Amino acid sequence: MPPHDNRAWLLLLPALALLAVVGLLPLLAVVNYGFHDIFSLADIHWVGVEWFADILGSDRFLASLGRSLLFAGLVLAIQIPLGLVIARFLITCGRGAVWGLMLCAIPLVVPWNMIPMLWLGLIDKDTGLLGPAVLATGFDYKATAVHTWALLLAVDTWHWIGLVVVLAYAGLSAIPPAYRQAAAIDGASRWAIFRHIELPRITRALGIVLLLRFVDSFMIYTEAFAINAGGPHDATRFLSIELGEEIKGFSYGQAAARATLYFLIVLAAVWAFVVAMRREPSA
Amino acid sequence: MTRILGFLALAVFILLPLTQAVILSFTVTLPKPGAEPGEIALANYLAVLADPELRAAIGNSITYVLVNVALCLAVGLPAAYALARYSFIGDRHFLLLILVFRVTPPVVLSLPIFILFSHLGLVNSPLGIALVHCLFNLPVTIWILESFIRSVPREYDETVFLDGWSFPAFFFRFLIPQIAPGLGVAAFFCFIFSWVEVVFARILTVTAGKPITMAINAMFGFQTDIGPVMAMTCLSLVPGIAMIWIFRNHLARGFILRS
Repeated sequence: MPPHDNRAWLLLLPALALLAVVGLLPLLAVVNYGFHDIFSLADIHWVGVEWFADILGSDRFLASLGRSLLFAGLVLAIQIPLGLVIARFLITCGRGAVWGLMLCAIPLVVPWNMIPMLWLGLIDKDTGLLGPAVLATGFDYKATAVHTWALLLAVDTWHWIGLVVVLAYAGLSAIPPAYRQAAAIDGASRWAIFRHIELPRITRALGIVLLLRFVDSFMIYTEAFAINAGGPHDATRFLSIELGEEIKGFSYGQAAARATLYFLIVLAAVWAFVVAMRREPSA
Repeated sequence: MTRILGFLALAVFILLPLTQAVILSFTVTLPKPGAEPGEIALANYLAVLADPELRAAIGNSITYVLVNVALCLAVGLPAAYALARYSFIGDRHFLLLILVFRVTPPVVLSLPIFILFSHLGLVNSPLGIALVHCLFNLPVTIWILESFIRSVPREYDETVFLDGWSFPAFFFRFLIPQIAPGLGVAAFFCFIFSWVEVVFARILTVTAGKPITMAINAMFGFQTDIGPVMAMTCLSLVPGIAMIWIFRNHLARGFILRS
């Protein structure tokens, strides 16, 4: 146990002050705006919980919530196993691993607004490298909902697989090789080694990946908006796209109420995550 | 054999969209004097580098990222030290707080941040973006530095204090050199999360101070010349790829959340 000393708070003060200005104050402001009708900053009326009731009572909100949850679920179902497979593969590559990590990290440094552009260029029928394949298979992301979803999932996986791989690799490489060797001598299968030796030791490393990937994909905006702006027929209208529309439409009170609700959803996810993590024996 | 095939498949998946961008960035895409569409030339890069606005955008991006990294390290290091070495009332609540801020979607906070920062005169300035990006970079910095400080034995601190060094002297002369790789890893992750962010960068730069991301957006128009857009995109990748190369041997440290 580290020594107990409340003077340690003095060392946290700069960090707290910074977070108060860029995080806490804006958060309180959002919650406050959510109870008002705002025409301009000089013309604000109290409306109570009217916005919240409107949003929660509308079918559109529930439909968007469902789509966002489905998207986040699919993202996790694809990227976590895939990232683990790649990380496990890299662990066996010895010195080559660092090249794999660098490769996977490249998409992380591409400006977010250019990621959809890169992919739309890639699948352009006339000029894209995958253009012939797109023509041959009749892939149409503009009009076919399943294709839009597939494209979004591919783009998101391309963008973020590096984070999953890097953090999973970090967790895996911290396990002493002797553990694996001992299990292998005992005749354990690769799956058994993964399930009983590796997985329990990387839960904490994977925890943060799960949470980050869940929240970021649940609130996906830049890619979804640039690729099809919620279409076709609202099939990719996610929560964040509705919020973006309200901000662009200057309905600030309603947007703030919606933002508050989204924050509460995120908060619930964080809380569930922390409770689950504290049950884990700390590594 | 399967190993090589696996590596190849991964490389193709990751590099394909970028290959397209690189090819386009070297291709003349709209007719210009002295060049036909389809020709391979450096014209796009020359056009981008000759544009003062785009040059300024590169400068703005570098400024705000450097300020952000400096801020995160300066503020995060004492906090990480406190969390690594002491237990105190509310330490777990603080960890929960930074986790919540790390995952709060930017779009939730964009509106009040804009109003607050326009009161403070921080709109259109790289400083504003640098400050607001601390929201998600400071937590990561604290997690990374805390794990590095933890790996230094506590006896190390005690010996230094017994030798009569003051607390600030310990920080600068002993602790920082000990955890230098940690500072590098933290700077790396701050860089990659900050350089590419667009939601705050867009809302905080209305008329001036545009970073690279927004300058690229502004290049789209009625008849977009995609060649220079891709040239600018490729240029925007250079610092990031350089960071990946510099920190390649530390990438695998990653970061683990504490709760």
